[in-house]
Amino acid sequence: MQADDRAEPTHQIGEAMQSLHPDQISVLRIRAVLASVAALIVGWVLDIGLLRQTPTPEYALPGVVLLAALYFVLIYPARRHRSWGYAEGEDELAIRSGILVQRRTIVPFGRVQHIDVAQGPIQRPWGIATLTLHTAGTRGAEVSLPGLEVGLAEEMRDRIRGKIRQDLV
Amino acid sequence: MSEDFTEPRRLHPATLIIRWLRLAPQMLAATIGVIATGSFGIDDFLMIAFVFGGAGTAFSLIEWLPFHWSAGAGEIVIEKGIFHRQHRVIPFDRVQDIAIEQRLLARLFGTAKVRIETGGAREDEGDLDMIALADAHALRDRIRRGGRTVEVEEAEEEPLLFAMGLGRLLLSGLFGFSLVFFAAIAAFVQQLDRFGLVDWSDWFTPQRADQAAHLVTLRIGFVLVGLVLALGMIAGVARTVARDFGFKLTRSEAGLRRRRGLFTLSEVVIPIRRTQVALIESGPVARLLGWYRLSFQTLGADPKEGGVQVAAPFARMEEILPILAIAGFPAPPPRAEFHGVPRRALLRKAAPTLALAALAALAAFTLDPRAGILALGLLALAILGVLRWRKHAHALGERALFVADGLLRRKLWIVPYEKTQTIQVSRGPVQRALRLASLLLDTAGAGALRSPEMHDLDQAEAGRMADRLYALFQGARRRIRGAA
Repeated sequence: MQADDRAEPTHQIGEAMQSLHPDQISVLRIRAVLASVAALIVGWVLDIGLLRQTPTPEYALPGVVLLAALYFVLIYPARRHRSWGYAEGEDELAIRSGILVQRRTIVPFGRVQHIDVAQGPIQRPWGIATLTLHTAGTRGAEVSLPGLEVGLAEEMRDRIRGKIRQDLV
Repeated sequence: MSEDFTEPRRLHPATLIIRWLRLAPQMLAATIGVIATGSFGIDDFLMIAFVFGGAGTAFSLIEWLPFHWSAGAGEIVIEKGIFHRQHRVIPFDRVQDIAIEQRLLARLFGTAKVRIETGGAREDEGDLDMIALADAHALRDRIRRGGRTVEVEEAEEEPLLFAMGLGRLLLSGLFGFSLVFFAAIAAFVQQLDRFGLVDWSDWFTPQRADQAAHLVTLRIGFVLVGLVLALGMIAGVARTVARDFGFKLTRSEAGLRRRRGLFTLSEVVIPIRRTQVALIESGPVARLLGWYRLSFQTLGADPKEGGVQVAAPFARMEEILPILAIAGFPAPPPRAEFHGVPRRALLRKAAPTLALAALAALAAFTLDPRAGILALGLLALAILGVLRWRKHAHALGERALFVADGLLRRKLWIVPYEKTQTIQVSRGPVQRALRLASLLLDTAGAGALRSPEMHDLDQAEAGRMADRLYALFQGARRRIRGAA
């Protein structure tokens, strides 16, 4: 029939992907610091309380928590930032993410039901926002792209909104 | 003659009686409960029953009186509630599906429950429980025609696509083996226990259990197992007959009309435009004998049925193919056109279980020989996993993707390219080590657990396929827009 369904794409959709805004690393790091402080407090309380009734060596739990916290504050944010990528095509958005489980998702604009641009309290001072595309699907119904500069996220939202077609079927 | 439903009206008065009757068992139970507390004598039974009966009547009336519905200019309006008043408007063109259901009691009064589905996620979007059967049919026809009151001549007979005779119905029941009745009996006895009529702890004392253990011989054991199996069969047949009696699938204006039921008659239209995915499945024995089940995943399908609507519960492949064609789905290609998973994917499927099996075997030799049983079980599990992966396959047809999965209960999904919502390639750590990837074509209304995911493809192949599926999706969409 048409040539287009036979045509093998010459490159993978979104092969050359854009990375997120560099400030996203700081956002991730602040989140990691907050979570680490909470985890350290819990670990320390357990260590002086409950764990003293078991043969667990002293400072074992806080030590493990501290190591994990160091990873999540120092190494993880940059890796996580590197793992993200996106490519906005003519009719689709391709997103790649994940360190352990790596995913690449293609969202056709014709399938988008509605779009959110959201800013959390940590994102706000950095001018960073999350763009979320909602589709009528089930397992891939919500596709989020965090770490965009607010202006860019809003620009993308408006561009995508112009391409949403009202065909649900 | 044609009824127009512009004036707000109440539900059928028989609703009151039926609601009251539905409350009756609870009222009776409550009465017995009150007497069982001991503060009232058996002589007060009538009085207490009267009080609860009156309360039931009041409850039914409180629900019935404020409920009004109308279907005037292009929309259905439902008003209900005394304290929390609700005014719901459903435009006709948002209605996806109108299901008419007649339970046994409703049939006595000639009434029916009408369920209006709009494709939203919630149940109970617009239930008219109940209105006169004739009104239900008139209302449905009116909504179908977009609110025009013009009398359209009803086609004499809709073309029949599939029906089940009594013989086939009974046969299909044999495959519906079910131990549900055990649960039913247990629940019943528990109810008796709750009201103090039977005391469980009296029945099962250690002495009695001991006596019983002496009585059970091998022969009695066999007889008992046989009895349970026979009862399971009978329960399966009974359930299937009650559900699928008089199963009839016809081609209606808007889609596939399905009628079925022995006690509860139900009539559903599966709108063809709303079907997303077709699923052909079959258990091990039924498949050997050439029987399959066809269902469609539709938007707004009853979640109780797992988000799919059955179009043919027990049919030959020759009967299924024409239904598929009418619903706009291509027939599955021959087995040779399917691509399986690469060999190293078998390793990924079996390796974790095998590792555990090896650990258990080690434990069997060093710690406790009983761990050997666990090792054997895990080994069997690994083998089953490998066998299942060998059956896992996919094929890219001209108009749809086909995905086969399942070892004993074999499933075949047919996903037309234009129904794609999103496409996702994912790779876990083990998959990356083996250069494998999974590919998911998400569709609307898919179940979270039962979706046509392609597991463990070759990594490069999965990437190429994702792009190819996207190109096929765009091509199919363009064709549809071109045709429209």
